[in-house]
Amino acid sequence: MSDVRPTGDWDGTALAHEAFVFGADQELVDRVVPFVLEGLSRGEPVLVVAGERVRSLLAGELGPDLDRLTAFTAAETWWRGGHRTLHAYDRDLRALQAVAPTWRLAAEPTWLARDDGREWSRFEAVANRCYAALPYYSLCLHDRERLPEPVLDAVARTHPLTWGGSAPVPAPAYEDPERFLRSVHPAWDRRPARAAVAALTTPREARRAVSAAALDWWPARVGEVVQAAHELVLNALRVAPFVEVSSWTDEGTLVVEVADSGPGLPDETLGYVPPPTKPDSPRGMWLAWSLADDVAVDSHPAGTAVRLFFHHR
Amino acid sequence: MTAPRRLDAPTGLQSGDHACWTFADAADLSAAVLPFLDEGRRLGEQLLLIGASRPELLRVLAPLPGRDELLADGQLQVHGTDAVYGSGDRFSPEDQVAAYRTLVAEARQRGRTGLRVAADVTPRARHGAGARRQLHVYEHLADAMMGAAPMTALCLYDAALGDDVLGPVTLLHPDQHSGSEALAHLSGRGLSLSLHGEVDVTLADDLLRALVDVACDAPGEVVLDLSALRFLDVAGARALARATRLLRGADVHLRLVGAPRTAARCLALFGLGGGDVVPE
Repeated sequence: MSDVRPTGDWDGTALAHEAFVFGADQELVDRVVPFVLEGLSRGEPVLVVAGERVRSLLAGELGPDLDRLTAFTAAETWWRGGHRTLHAYDRDLRALQAVAPTWRLAAEPTWLARDDGREWSRFEAVANRCYAALPYYSLCLHDRERLPEPVLDAVARTHPLTWGGSAPVPAPAYEDPERFLRSVHPAWDRRPARAAVAALTTPREARRAVSAAALDWWPARVGEVVQAAHELVLNALRVAPFVEVSSWTDEGTLVVEVADSGPGLPDETLGYVPPPTKPDSPRGMWLAWSLADDVAVDSHPAGTAVRLFFHHR
Repeated sequence: MTAPRRLDAPTGLQSGDHACWTFADAADLSAAVLPFLDEGRRLGEQLLLIGASRPELLRVLAPLPGRDELLADGQLQVHGTDAVYGSGDRFSPEDQVAAYRTLVAEARQRGRTGLRVAADVTPRARHGAGARRQLHVYEHLADAMMGAAPMTALCLYDAALGDDVLGPVTLLHPDQHSGSEALAHLSGRGLSLSLHGEVDVTLADDLLRALVDVACDAPGEVVLDLSALRFLDVAGARALARATRLLRGADVHLRLVGAPRTAARCLALFGLGGGDVVPE
């Protein structure tokens, strides 16, 4: 095992993001234990966030070294929906960045096994871009037995590195984050003829229109629907003189579409990127994305349209 | 507490109403003042008209039914703005509100049903940034006083002052004439400051200025009740975050309470708590 290089050529100055899919106990131990020990030997903070199986295996193997970990945390209680989970993660990262020049993390997002946890792959994809400059190695652990095939497929497409047996290697299935997002967002079907459509020039008009549509659908979620649509309308009115707001329901799901003739969305990942802490930075897309159950973007040079989907639940 | 109200006419007003009325010119001013005062005459209220020059005001009042009798009888009084509010640094918001409180009491002693004031406050808003801060404090204190005393006020502002000046001033009135819709009111009626209606990006800067000015008076804790807020967007939450920071510099701790659920989501984006979040 002396030829194993747990982080390959990683020099600790930028993000390395690897997916490691494991089956047998020994497979996991052989990958994670050297990874942890290398970090400790380099004096880096080493954090482990994982499910029960992984934690007990590592605890047995690491023995007294367990106490040298900066964190050894249960993953089961972490999931609070994609946006809130990432926001909490983001705060932890910023806190680490303030005190450590580089660090490493072995994390098992156990919630990927839940139906409502699958959206996490989108955040994994976007992390490759928004955390690219953060100096840490993120070794993501995935239990082959627990995760269904489509989730493992998403894992392969959202991690630029995979384990090559003695060092991390580029993952052949890795995709650009925007391409990945487009593939998992709802298909951009034609807007149905029954949709209510209005061309509006002020955010308050748009709020009235969206509020009326949401009230007809499900009063309990009017606040969230109006809030999310409002932020998109503001973005649209920054680049175009008017905005087209339309809405319809589809088998109980309310769809709100905000379309403008502006120059197109520069970055389709923005709704998944946690806002920086400084108050001036924009937060509207993050908020809209977090309030809606799903989104879809149709962006081209002649304009942008965003659809927000709200499920009746 | 009610949502802010858009006024189409300067009538239908009663005790406790505090209206912000912008006018374009002298004719516009007179068109607002006459029906407002005439309504008060019919209600048996003590009437007070305040404006730039007394002779000009008397001319404005010429068409008012029974003008001369009202003046002779003392039910209607007319004063120049400087004579009432002082000029330059002599203006004290606290003293002015106390003076109105006394006038209300005197009107009641004379058997009037209340005090009705139409005041062209434009000159006070022209004195510069420091005077405008005082004006915000004054409008805020006056609004709180009118929540508890039999007084009705029509605060008149020349539209030429511009949105930067009129925005924060308007927010401090529950009854508003400017704009197509009354969106929000920053109220001092009740036990704490409270925000009513909808605060979006179009009001964010106005809210920041009005809130900082009315809250920065004394060190300590200032509570802002958000439970009557029907809508708050990211820009509005950002304004509250900035106000919190600015006030902290003046040793004032702004505590937000009662934020509706979605508003609390916005506030959380800036690390602000919304107190005990209330359901929508």
